[in-house]
Amino acid sequence: MHIFVMLLVNGLAEGALIFLMAAGLSIILGLVGVVNFAHGTLFIWGGYMSIWVFRLTASFPLALLAALATGVIMGIVFERLFVKPVYGKVTSQILITLGLMIIFTDMVRLLWGPNPIPMVRPPWLDGTWVFGQVIIARYRVFLIAVGLFVAVGINYLINKTRIGMVMRAGIQSPEMVQALGINIKLYFAAVFAGGAGLAALGGALYAPLVGSVWSGMGIDNQILAFIVVILGGMGSFYGSAVGSILIGLTSAFTAWFFPPLTAYSTLLIMVVILSLKPEGLFGLAVRK
Amino acid sequence: MTAKWWLWAAYAVALISLLVFPHVTGVMMRELIGRIFILAVFGMSYDILRGYTGIINLGHAAFFGGGTYIAGIVFTRLGTSAAALLLAVALAWAFAALLALIMGQFAFRNTGAGGVLACAMITLAFGEMVRHTAETLREFTQGADGLTFVVPVIFRDRIGMYYYALLFLVVMTVLLRQFINSPTGRVLQAIRDNEQRARFLGYDVRKYKLLALVTAALAASSSGFMFALLTRFANTDLLSVQNTLNALLFTIVGGTGTLYGAIVGTAFVQLVQSYLLELRGIHEIFARWQIFFGAIYVLVVLYMPLGMVGAFLRIKGSLARWRTAGSNHTEAGE
Repeated sequence: MHIFVMLLVNGLAEGALIFLMAAGLSIILGLVGVVNFAHGTLFIWGGYMSIWVFRLTASFPLALLAALATGVIMGIVFERLFVKPVYGKVTSQILITLGLMIIFTDMVRLLWGPNPIPMVRPPWLDGTWVFGQVIIARYRVFLIAVGLFVAVGINYLINKTRIGMVMRAGIQSPEMVQALGINIKLYFAAVFAGGAGLAALGGALYAPLVGSVWSGMGIDNQILAFIVVILGGMGSFYGSAVGSILIGLTSAFTAWFFPPLTAYSTLLIMVVILSLKPEGLFGLAVRK
Repeated sequence: MTAKWWLWAAYAVALISLLVFPHVTGVMMRELIGRIFILAVFGMSYDILRGYTGIINLGHAAFFGGGTYIAGIVFTRLGTSAAALLLAVALAWAFAALLALIMGQFAFRNTGAGGVLACAMITLAFGEMVRHTAETLREFTQGADGLTFVVPVIFRDRIGMYYYALLFLVVMTVLLRQFINSPTGRVLQAIRDNEQRARFLGYDVRKYKLLALVTAALAASSSGFMFALLTRFANTDLLSVQNTLNALLFTIVGGTGTLYGAIVGTAFVQLVQSYLLELRGIHEIFARWQIFFGAIYVLVVLYMPLGMVGAFLRIKGSLARWRTAGSNHTEAGE
């Protein structure tokens, strides 16, 4: 039983991290119809920037903020310069964002070197809580809290605010929104930047969890996020939330019970779900 | 008729100069050109997908690297006899075909724009799984250190290997040309141009996409196999997304949907790469080939979507139209 509780916490924490990436990807996909293949690169940049700021200021909140800001700024630059010219051209979008992935991943190696850089957890998040036989790392609880906060926040933003209303209308009919005098392109850019910021935040939160950052961590997590986006139903926000938890729990449980299968379990889950439900759990076909 | 005659003469001149080439040039250049011959087939195999069927497969390196690794593993484990060579070829093809069938089963479920995206994401996941597997099976692959192996005696002569590579390129170009111009190839192009229309005409679009993927996988795997014979080394970089993007860059620089474009693109990219790496003594930045690679990539997609051969064909086409329009005009004038 205590193992079950511990794995549950581990899985949810991992799910929360994946969610930070998948939520951004999924909202961008739903609203703008773009998949950002450089999402993992933003994740890496978030991780490296947070370590850099953490070493300068010794403040973890400031480090997270720096990562978030880096992601948002890079998101704006990516969107304005590279994604905007190819809206509506799916193939070119994939190719361009892949090009950005190569450039900015290698830029990290150029600036910080090819070797992993260690990162410690801030003292107030380090350590464990012990309840009888159950040992729970504080940092994982913190991750779950961040994930929940972001999920509730995005849900509120989408369903209860005017911005969210425009976004929902934009998914259904961008032309109509445009005709009502709203600059939908500005919302596209904002959503892209927001998603990029979340990815970078994810990278900053991932570094203390595994204890280091390295330039290959982006692609691994990007693939998990892609799997979540596909099995949740492409472009569905709820799908990405449910999918993240599912993938997080799956990898935590397989890592405990069948370690050799860990890397494949997520792909297997996707394969099973796509076989049963080709359009994904919350099947929302992308219309754009 | 005269145009045909010129074309054949050009082919003959090109072929003869390529045949004489290894005897008049240095070792470095000969190795580079041999490598270009083999990688050009990898590029062409990608063009079957990207250029002729409209699929973006981000796991394509799994087929290429799979061919290289299977050659390496069979040669290390079972020796370099003729039987081992045949077994290695059979295994490389079987692996490629099987992986393509499994990959395609899940990648081609959605249609339309969302389908292209889903396909790219799913193939990326499959490709990374293959790379991960190669990294984990250290017993066979030596993991991240890379696998060094010996090749059968007939492939050990370097100049001989150059000719094998050239022969490989010529044979594969002819075969893939045949495939593209076959009725099946025509259906693939119809799917690329308008998937919905192809479906309404009664074609089983998914089956044709699978066929294209298997064909491309077999070509890529053969290319990877030849690469093994040339370099006698395999590492997991060959299975990475980076390697898939190499093939993609070869085709988009050369021009997608032209087949020959992949050959031109491969030659261009490889020559630029080796030139830049030679400059690394001047400044450290030139060792970061990938930043240049990515920049070329983005610039080509933004500003040169047709690629070299594509742009050439378009200019040739408009020249021809302009000429006929001009001659019609004079005829009308008379």
